[in-house]
Amino acid sequence: MSFLKPKTYIEQGDIVILYLSVNSMHAIEAVPTIVNKKGETISHIFQTPYGSLKVESIIGVEYGSRVELSKGWAHVLQPNPEMWTQTLPHRTQIIYTPDISMILHQLEVRPGAVVVESGTGSGSLSHYFLRALKPTGRLHTFDFHEARADQAREEFRRHGLGDFVTVYHRDVCNLGFSSELDGAADAVFLDLPAPDLAVPHAFKALKLSGGRFCSFSPCIEQSQRCIAQLTKLGFNEICSMEVLQQESVIKTRSLPVIDLEFLKAPKSAEIIANEDNKTKEPKELKKYLTSSNPQVLPGHTGFLTFATLPPNIPKS
Amino acid sequence: MGSIPNIQLGDYIVIQRQKYTKLQKFGSLDATATLGKEHLELKSLLDQPYGSTFKMCVKESKAGKRGAQRQHTLELCSENELRSIRDILNISSSGADNRDISDNGEAQALKSEDIEQMREACNESSKIIEKLVENSKTFHTRTEYSQDKYLLKKEKKYFEFVQIRQPSIRLMADIFHRQDAEKVMGIRVDTLSQIISYSSVSGFGSYLLYESGTNGLLPAAMLNSIGADTQATLVHMHPGNVPQKQALLALKLPLEQQQRCISVNLYSVLREFYQGDKAETRSDATTAQTEAETAAVTASEENDASTEEQSDIIEPNTKKLKLDESLNSNNKSAPLRWQLENKRAAALMNAKFDSLVMAAKEHPSNILQALLPLVKPSRPVVIFSTCKELLHETYMELKTTGKVTNLHVTSNWLRTYQILPNRTHPEVNMSGNSGYLLTGYTLK
Repeated sequence: MSFLKPKTYIEQGDIVILYLSVNSMHAIEAVPTIVNKKGETISHIFQTPYGSLKVESIIGVEYGSRVELSKGWAHVLQPNPEMWTQTLPHRTQIIYTPDISMILHQLEVRPGAVVVESGTGSGSLSHYFLRALKPTGRLHTFDFHEARADQAREEFRRHGLGDFVTVYHRDVCNLGFSSELDGAADAVFLDLPAPDLAVPHAFKALKLSGGRFCSFSPCIEQSQRCIAQLTKLGFNEICSMEVLQQESVIKTRSLPVIDLEFLKAPKSAEIIANEDNKTKEPKELKKYLTSSNPQVLPGHTGFLTFATLPPNIPKS
Repeated sequence: MGSIPNIQLGDYIVIQRQKYTKLQKFGSLDATATLGKEHLELKSLLDQPYGSTFKMCVKESKAGKRGAQRQHTLELCSENELRSIRDILNISSSGADNRDISDNGEAQALKSEDIEQMREACNESSKIIEKLVENSKTFHTRTEYSQDKYLLKKEKKYFEFVQIRQPSIRLMADIFHRQDAEKVMGIRVDTLSQIISYSSVSGFGSYLLYESGTNGLLPAAMLNSIGADTQATLVHMHPGNVPQKQALLALKLPLEQQQRCISVNLYSVLREFYQGDKAETRSDATTAQTEAETAAVTASEENDASTEEQSDIIEPNTKKLKLDESLNSNNKSAPLRWQLENKRAAALMNAKFDSLVMAAKEHPSNILQALLPLVKPSRPVVIFSTCKELLHETYMELKTTGKVTNLHVTSNWLRTYQILPNRTHPEVNMSGNSGYLLTGYTLK
C-alpha cells in the first residue's frame, strides 16, 4: 500500500526501498516470510553487499530510518514513482523521470484526469500517471501481452493503486481501445512500435471537448508517420521534442599550485643554503569545489510528439 | 474536465495568434489587448466558449511612431474559415531550385504603400497574400518548400484570426518563459515538470514551497497537481509583503482548492512558528506588519526587478484585503488575515511536511537550514537554482550533515524538432539554460 499516500511507518506488505548508496537501491516487500523455489515457507532474508537483512525486523520502523545489516547499515525509504522507476523489475524497456515529467506536464494530467495509456509495459509511467490523477481520476492502461497485463494489475493492487486503474489485455493497434472509452479521455499516451496505427483510436477515445495526445518513439520515422496521421485527423499544436538529463558529478578537488616565478632570477646563495639543509617543503595545495559531467550519459531516449485535439471535431 | 466553460469577466485569458500566445486579463468590457501593432477590443468575447476563434476586423487605424496602429473588433467565426493558404490560393507551379533567383530587391512589384493601403481596405490575409503572390516575379520559380516558407512568413504577418484559450500551467509556463524568463527565475518547462515529479506533489499530503518570485507559476503548478476536491495542502512561503499570484489567479481554481494554498511571508511565519503568541504580546500587530515590510524591502533590495513585478501583480483582490485589514486593525480585537494565515501555516509546520521545494533568488543554504527541520523523514527535497555553483555548495553542506541522501544535481537539454516530410531536423535555436535541480530524500 506504500504508493497511495505519504506514510510514516512501514507496515507489513509495504514495498520498501532499501537504500545502500546512490548506485545501490533495492525494492523489497516487507513480509516476514517468503516461499522459496522448493515451495517451502522460509524467513525473508535480503542479501546485500553489506550483509543480510532480516526483513521482518523493518516492519513497524519509521520510514527514513537507518537499519542495521549484518556487515553495515542502510536506510529504508518509502517508495515513490521516481524510486520505483529505478528499482522496478524490468519486463520491458521503460521510460525514465525526465521524459515522464514532460509527458505529465504536456498532457496536463492532474487529479480528476482520465488518461489512456498503451502499452503498460513494466508500469513505470503508469505509476506516475496514477500519482498525478488520483484520487479522483482514472487510468486505463492497455498491453497486448497477457502476462504483463496480469502482472501490472496485481502490482497496482498491492501498491494500493487498484482503485484508480483498469488494466486491459488488448491489442490496441488492431482492436482499438474498448468502445466504452469513446469520448472519455482527457489525454492519450502511446508507446507503441507503430503509433500511427493507434492514432485513429486515440482520436476516438479523446473527449469531444478536446484533449492532449503524446507518442513516445525511439525512432524519428515513427514520429513522422504518427504526425502524418495526426495532421490528417485535425490535431493541432503538433510539437516534437527530446529531453536529456545530465548529472553533475560534484567533488572537492585539491590541486597543487605550481610556482614558476622563481625561475626568472638566478638562485641566491641563501636559497642554495636552504636547499641543502631542509627537505623539500610540501607543495602548496588549493581546494576547489568542482563539477563535471560523467564520462558516459544518455544521449538519446526517444522523441516525444505532442498534439492537441481541438474541441468539437466530429468523430464519425 | 469535459464541458467547455465560457469566457467570463474577470478571467485571465490566453490570446493565441498562430504560434504567438499571450496572457491577458479580461477585467472589463472596455478591456483591450495589444498584439504588436494591433489593438483588440475584447468586448465580444464575453460568454463565448473557450477555444473559440475570432476574426480581427479593422475598426480604425492611427498613424503611430512605427507604422499604423490598428484598432480591431473581434468577431466570432467558425473553424471553416481557417483553411490552408496553399489551398485557397490554388498554387500550381513551382521551381526545382534557386539557380535563377537573385536578391535584387525587385521581386515584389507592389510598393509598401500599396500593401498598407490594401491592408486598410480588406480584412483577409488570404486576399493580401494572393496579391503579393500575383505581383511577385519569382514566386512561381521558387521550390515548393521555399513557397511554403514564403507563405508562412506572409501569413504570420497578415493572419487575422485569434483563438481564445483557457490558461493552463502548460500554456502559462510557455508564455512566461518566452516573454521574460527572468520573471519565472529561468525555470524552463522541462525543469518545471521535473520539480513537480521529484517533489512527489499529489492529491495527498502537505507540501512546503519557498519561492522568491515566479509570477505565481510554481505555487500554481503545485496547487494544480494537488487538485480540486483532494486533501492535500500547500504552504507557500515568499520573501515579500504580497505573494506574486498571477498564474494562480489565472487558473481560476475552485475556492476550496485556492484556500488550500496558504501564502505567508517567510520571516513572519517563522517568527509565528518559533515564538507563537509570545511574539504577539511583545509586539502588537502593527510592528509585526512593519517587520514583514522591512523583510520585503531587504528581499527586494537584493533583486530590485522583483519589486516592479510585484507592484504589477497586486491584484484588486489583495488591495481589498488590505483595506479590510486596516479597518480591522482599528478595532484591535479581530486578528488580521495574514495573522490567521500564519497560524494556519504554523499548525501545518508543526505537523511537518511531505516535501520541500525551493526556488530562491537568495543563497539557498540558510533558507534550507530553516526549512529542512520542518520536513518528515523519507521525503523529497527539491531545490532549483539558475546557477550550479550555489547548488554545489548546498550539495556539500547536505552531504556533510548526512540529513539528506540520494543527492543529485541535474540539468537538462531540451531540443525541439521540425518534423516534415523530407525536412526533419532539430530546430535551429534551442534554449541553453534549463537551470539546475538539487534533489534528495530526508533521513531520520
